[in-house]
Amino acid sequence: MHFIDSTNFERFLKKLSTGGELFVPVRRAETGKLHLERIELFPLPDDLALDGYRTVEPLKGFAQLLRYPVADYPSTEGDDISDGNAFPNVVIAGARGCDLAAMQLVDKVQVEGEFTDPFYAMRRDRMLVIGADCSECGETCFCTLLGAKPWPEKGHDIAVSKVQGGCLVEAGTERGEKAIKENKELFAEAREAQITMRDEIRAKVVKDLDEKNKAYPRADGMTEIIRGALNDEIWDAISSRCVECGACTNICPTCYCFLLYDQKTDRSHFQRIFAWDSCQVTGYARMAGMLNPRPRLSDRVKHRFYHKYDYLPLSHGAIYCTGCGRCIDTCSASIDMRDSFRRIKDEAGGKKKA
Amino acid sequence: MKNPYYPIETLVEDIITETPTIKTFCLTPSRPIKFKAGQFMQLTVPGHGEAPFTPSSNPSVTEKMEITILRTGKVTDALHALKPGAEVGLRGPFGKGYPMDKMEGKEVLVVGGGVGLAPLRSLIYALLENPKKYKRVSIKYGARVPEELCFRRLYEEWAKAAPNVDFTVTIDVPAPNWTGRVGLVTTLLDGLDINLEDSIAVSCGPEIMLKFVTLKLLEVGYKPPQIYLSMNRKMSCGMGKCGRCNVGHYYLCVDGPDMCYDKIKNVQNVFG
Repeated sequence: MHFIDSTNFERFLKKLSTGGELFVPVRRAETGKLHLERIELFPLPDDLALDGYRTVEPLKGFAQLLRYPVADYPSTEGDDISDGNAFPNVVIAGARGCDLAAMQLVDKVQVEGEFTDPFYAMRRDRMLVIGADCSECGETCFCTLLGAKPWPEKGHDIAVSKVQGGCLVEAGTERGEKAIKENKELFAEAREAQITMRDEIRAKVVKDLDEKNKAYPRADGMTEIIRGALNDEIWDAISSRCVECGACTNICPTCYCFLLYDQKTDRSHFQRIFAWDSCQVTGYARMAGMLNPRPRLSDRVKHRFYHKYDYLPLSHGAIYCTGCGRCIDTCSASIDMRDSFRRIKDEAGGKKKA
Repeated sequence: MKNPYYPIETLVEDIITETPTIKTFCLTPSRPIKFKAGQFMQLTVPGHGEAPFTPSSNPSVTEKMEITILRTGKVTDALHALKPGAEVGLRGPFGKGYPMDKMEGKEVLVVGGGVGLAPLRSLIYALLENPKKYKRVSIKYGARVPEELCFRRLYEEWAKAAPNVDFTVTIDVPAPNWTGRVGLVTTLLDGLDINLEDSIAVSCGPEIMLKFVTLKLLEVGYKPPQIYLSMNRKMSCGMGKCGRCNVGHYYLCVDGPDMCYDKIKNVQNVFG
C-alpha cells in the first residue's frame, strides 16, 4: 500500500493526463453535489472532491457517447475502420465503487460476446480510471443492499482512499501498477495509522448506509421474488406517477440501450447515428404497423426492473444495478426503486400467507 | 477492425411485384454474403434507415439475395418506392437461423401466413435441397384473399419437388374464381396425418396468426419443444447490444429470430 500527499497527487494526475483529457469530481457550492469536470489547467481546483459520494454523472458516457456517428456511407473505405487513434486518452479520477462496477457491466454487453462495438472498445481502452472511497453516503445510495461496498472493489486501474494530508493508493490493474511504478518518487509507504483511519471511515459509511436503508429489502434478493407469479397490479401502482421522461435510464450507469438512425449529409452521402435510447418511452419497442409488445406505461416500467434484475442475470450473469441511487434522485415522480422493492416483497409475502 | 454498423453497398437488380403490398427485391451485394435459412439481414435504404428482414432466397446462393417485403412502415414505404438500379445496403447475417439439424430424419411441418412465407421460402429451399434427409416436408400456407398469396408461381414446383413433400394453400374468406380451400391456416392443421412424436413444426406469420397456430399445434398434440416460431420485435443493432428485441431474457437478434416455443412460453405478452 502506498501513500501520496496532495501535492504529489496533483503531479501524478498531471503526468498521467499529459496529451489526453483529465476529469475529476468537483463539488458544486450551491448543491453540495459532485460533478465530473474536465481539468485543462493546473493547479487542480480547490473544490476537487475525492471524498463525499458518487458524482451526479455516471461514467458510461465516456465510452458510449450520448450520440455519435458510427458510419458514413457510401465510403471508399467500406467497413474498414482505419482511424483507430482518433480517440483521446482519458483519465478519470475519483470514480466510486458503484460506477466502477457499472462500467464493467456495460463492458460485458458492448465488448464481450460474439460482437464487439469497436467504437466503445477503442474509447474504453483509452480510459484510465482512478477509483475513490466514499466518505459519506448520499440520501439515495444503496450499494450495500446489493452486497457491494462503498469503495473501489473492482473495475479500477488505481484506487485511492482519502486520509489526512493525502491518499492511500493501490493498483487494481497492471496498467495502474505500471503508472505507479513509473512515478514511484511521488509515493511513500503507507503507515499503519493511515490504514486504520481509512478503515474507520469505511466502517462508518457502511454503518450509515445500513442505517439509511434499514427499511428496505436486500436488492440482490429481488431476482427470485420478481420471477414469482406477480400480477400486474403492483406494477400499475408503482408506475402510476411515472411521466415517461426516460431520465432514470439516461442517468443509470448500467443502462446501455441505444438506437441507430440514418440521416443525409448531402444528396448522395448518409450518416448512421448511434444514440442512447430509453425503454420507458412509447416508441422504443414499437414496430412497423404500430405493434408494440409493451404498449402500456406500466409494462415499460416493469420492463426496466425485469431487465436489470431478471433478464440480465440470465443473459449476462449479473444484476445490472449497482445501487447508485441516481434513478431515485432524478425521478420527478419520486419513484424509489428501494421502496418499489419493499412493496413488491410485501405483496409477494402477503400472497404466500394467503 | 471492421465496422459492424456499416451497410455493405448492394445493387437492387430487379423488383418482383408479388401482391399489391408485397415485393421481392433481387439484390447483388458488393461482396458475397453467406447466410443460413432463417438468419436475417439489416437492409438499409440510404437516408431512411434500416429494418430487419430474413432473405426469401436459397441460402446456398451467396452472390445474390432476394428479400420479400410487405409495405407496412417508414423503411418499407421507401423500399417499395425504389426502382431497379437503386443502391441499398446490407448488414448481417444475424441470428441463429432455423434448427436444420433438429429437422433431419423428422416430419417437418411448415406453417406460413401472408408475408410470413418469405422467410419460410429460404427454409423450403434448404429442405428441398435434399428432401431425403427428412421423413417428410409438409407445407401449409394461408393468406387473407387470393391476391395476397405470395410466390404463387412456386407452389406447383414445391408440391411436386419430391414424393415426401406436400403443399396446401388456403384463403381466409371465399373469393370469386377461387376453387381451392377456404378457412384460416389453422384449419389446415385439423386432421393432420403427421406422426406427431416424430415431427418439428415451424411457423412464420403475423403475431396473431402465430398465436393461434401455436394454440392449434398444442391442441393437436405437439409439445412446446417441437414448435419453432419466427418472432417479431423491433430490432436495431442485430448484435445483442441495443437492447430492444427482447422476449423475456432472450434477444431475438442473437437467440432467434426463430425461437423454440418451449423457451418463451412463459413470457408475458409473448405474442404482443
